[in-house]
Amino acid sequence: MRNVLRGLRWAFFGVIALILLYVLPQHDVVRISGTEVIRQDFSSINRLFYAQADSGANELATRDVRFIQTVKRKTFLLGFIPRDAEGVMVYRNEDSGWIWPPYFKFDSSDLQGEAAELVSTKANPQWAVITHYGFRNRFFSIYPNAIGIKPVDGPDYYPIPWFNIFFFIFLGIALLFVRAMWRQFRERSLDPALDAAEDRWDRVEAAANERKSRFGRWWDSWKKKPRR
Amino acid sequence: MGLVRLVVVGGIILTVIYFSISIYSRSIRRERLEDRWAEDHPDGGDAADRTAYIEAGMAKYESGLRKKLILLVYVIPVVAVVTILWITNAN
Repeated sequence: MRNVLRGLRWAFFGVIALILLYVLPQHDVVRISGTEVIRQDFSSINRLFYAQADSGANELATRDVRFIQTVKRKTFLLGFIPRDAEGVMVYRNEDSGWIWPPYFKFDSSDLQGEAAELVSTKANPQWAVITHYGFRNRFFSIYPNAIGIKPVDGPDYYPIPWFNIFFFIFLGIALLFVRAMWRQFRERSLDPALDAAEDRWDRVEAAANERKSRFGRWWDSWKKKPRR
Repeated sequence: MGLVRLVVVGGIILTVIYFSISIYSRSIRRERLEDRWAEDHPDGGDAADRTAYIEAGMAKYESGLRKKLILLVYVIPVVAVVTILWITNAN
């Protein structure tokens, strides 16, 4: 039983971590090699990992999605440790609009224009930082969503995740605050109520014992007296 | 349509947070008043006087600035949304 509970707790933390990993912004140093638009016929599996039609347009079962193809500087540990290796990465470029996750992105077309402007060749590279959220999964055709593009001087640029730093500080403060609220609630409301209930129960029990003993005495009076 | 949903759902969540923080803040204030009374009256003091002292302190809190600051629960997320909207979409 304890192992089951422990497993559930780890599963819970794992899901929270995966959600944060999906939703929080990450920065990749890339060289953009091209942009394109592909029609996507979503399946029930990968529909969840796409956002929505352009915010002014209608949502249909099938639509065109903008993509940004890049050569990305590989990293270890979510970008914290740079590596001297490159790999292909493809980003989708969709309006996230007013829906989850809360990036409020409405400028997909503009972003596609910026990306097209930064397209460069291997011989004469122009490096850029792409901010994105989401996962890349080749088996389910899932792509991270690009949020912003910024040109940088070279491939050795090291992006500092300021937003995530402040987000986790805020999250820690919020959790401590919730803990303080819960403690105050328990101390001032829950415990007194429980004490009162316990007290009432004690009195009921005592009264029942009393009645029992009175009845018992009456009953005993009808019993045969032990012979002397 | 998405904006309407965001405003409605966000409004409900923020209202829950607002009331939770109000209850917490009021509870903290009352506890502090009780502690202060206990400090000044080690023998417990007069029960009616104690009630009057605490109620007066609570009335002061109800009309004070601290209580109004809890309304920031509604202001800060709106500012955050506008800021993110601007940063994401500005070129």
